[in-house]
Amino acid sequence: MMSNKTPQKLKDSLLSLDMDATMEQVDFVVKGDADVTVQEAVDAVAEALEVVGKRFQGGEWFLAELVYSGEIAKSAMELLSPLMSSGASQPLGTIVVGTVAGDLHDLGKNIFINYSKSAGFEVVDLGIDVPVEKFVSAVDEYKPLALGMSCLLTITSEEVGKVIEGLKDRGNRDKVKVIVGGAALTEEFAREVGSDAFAPDAITGIDIIKKWIAS
Amino acid sequence: MDFKQRIMTAMNHEEPDQVPVMGLIMDPSTVNQIMGKEPVDFVAMIKNPDTKDSIKDMMNQDEFWNSTYQSNWNDALESSLKLGFDANWTIYAFMQLVEDSESSLGLVWHDVFGRVWEMGSDNKGNLILNYSRPLCPTEEAWEAWVEEKAPIFEKAIEYATDFHKKLVDDYGDRIMPIGCAAPGIFENCWQPIGFVEFTKFTFQKPGFVKRVIDFYTDYYLKYLEGVMRSGVEVVLGGDDLAQKTGPMMSPEMTEKLFGESYRHIAEAVHKRDRKFIFHSCGNIYPLLDKFIEWGFDGIITMEPTAGVELGKVREHVGHKLVLIGNLDVSYLLVKGSRQEIEDAVKRAIKDAASGGGYILSAAHSHPYVDPSRLEWMVEAVHKYGKYPISI
Repeated sequence: MMSNKTPQKLKDSLLSLDMDATMEQVDFVVKGDADVTVQEAVDAVAEALEVVGKRFQGGEWFLAELVYSGEIAKSAMELLSPLMSSGASQPLGTIVVGTVAGDLHDLGKNIFINYSKSAGFEVVDLGIDVPVEKFVSAVDEYKPLALGMSCLLTITSEEVGKVIEGLKDRGNRDKVKVIVGGAALTEEFAREVGSDAFAPDAITGIDIIKKWIAS
Repeated sequence: MDFKQRIMTAMNHEEPDQVPVMGLIMDPSTVNQIMGKEPVDFVAMIKNPDTKDSIKDMMNQDEFWNSTYQSNWNDALESSLKLGFDANWTIYAFMQLVEDSESSLGLVWHDVFGRVWEMGSDNKGNLILNYSRPLCPTEEAWEAWVEEKAPIFEKAIEYATDFHKKLVDDYGDRIMPIGCAAPGIFENCWQPIGFVEFTKFTFQKPGFVKRVIDFYTDYYLKYLEGVMRSGVEVVLGGDDLAQKTGPMMSPEMTEKLFGESYRHIAEAVHKRDRKFIFHSCGNIYPLLDKFIEWGFDGIITMEPTAGVELGKVREHVGHKLVLIGNLDVSYLLVKGSRQEIEDAVKRAIKDAASGGGYILSAAHSHPYVDPSRLEWMVEAVHKYGKYPISI
């Protein structure tokens, strides 16, 4: 029987990078053997990922820990999410994200998606090698609060500016915040092409979007 | 001093006559511009149903692959000579064109290590290749791959040795080929499996991960012997241990998993009285002490876009490592003005060249690096890089 210490145990096991122990706690919740609600368990996972993010940003943890804790959280959420009553928790908003045309990298994008979902965002993943038009149309279709573009290659960095121009041409630039990140980009570049923010890593990107909501 | 004395003097942390310059020339775009050649639109030929199959058949013949590849690198070294470099990296790869329904072109390259490379074109129509996905995402798939490809693994060493030997024989009296050993152990361990799956395995299946690392370490050491037998005096190990904000794995985890492998590599190189320089993209600050501990002679790249500053690296490592690179390729060597390039070269020399142990170079290469700007870079080194440095 799970005790009311379950959320703490869930957090502790996730932060110890212990997949088995985390899933054991989740299993208690799924079977109804816990005296905590599914929502409380979900909140515990989200809180643990907040700590992961801080450890990563503080240089205490690295990409491997970030990826693995994200995978543990994903496994936990795959079991917990279907049990959430509909409307129990409204998403913070929608983010459309993709890797620009010509670029096939997806690691950073996928980390961003994993953590954004755990933080409570609805995420539309356009994938890799995404043409300008697909980004622009997705903004039309999903009306997201933010559009995220990942770009790892210097030779494809021009695509970022093209997407922003495409948004302007469609009259949508002021309807969506644009955030960009990836090895090829810098704060200065992001500013020059007219994006709203540059994210040096996935966790900072999510922090920035949360601040946009708050303001 | 000739080019070789200049490089080796700097590699020994002594002051040569002037700061040496190393090139990272390899992209067809850069080479074609320097050599005055027209781009070969390989992707268009693959898209054309009339030529697709014959291209595939031709490229999959070892002899044709090797002669084409050798010819491309001959041009790369010719280009480097034209630009006035003292050295240039030389990298061998063995790949095969394979049908692939996931690819929009219907064909992708498979390398011997289990990685898929997709083709694209740069803005001039030259071929570019990008690592796209792993072929061995499970333990079973990895085991099957290495068993099936065992003959090709051995063949690739033979081909790499011949490739480097030809370059040393044909160009070694005019420029130093800095021979790249096999693709890095870290990259070769995770890229055929995928980073997410590999990371999971490090926590869940450490025995399998150790087997993968041991396999590639063993292979790397054999490949390295071949490269050194070719006459290459400075060996380059390319292995991206870091990304934009820091190492992919903590220094402790990197040490635990890969430390022994890197020590073996450095020992093998030193046993043959060669020098070993290590390339990693990304923010490598937290790994600098490891590079020294592992016995590396130098490091190359130090990406400015990942926040790496040459002066800070020199301050941290002193003269325990030769430093190579750090000239920005996101803006400076693509669009920078002559004055900006001159200023950057002066700053690099000031930050790292005192006492030797610095070789000036672009941080990396990509198709949009502009040859004219590389020329300005070399001119600036010749203007400001004479020892004793007086900047």
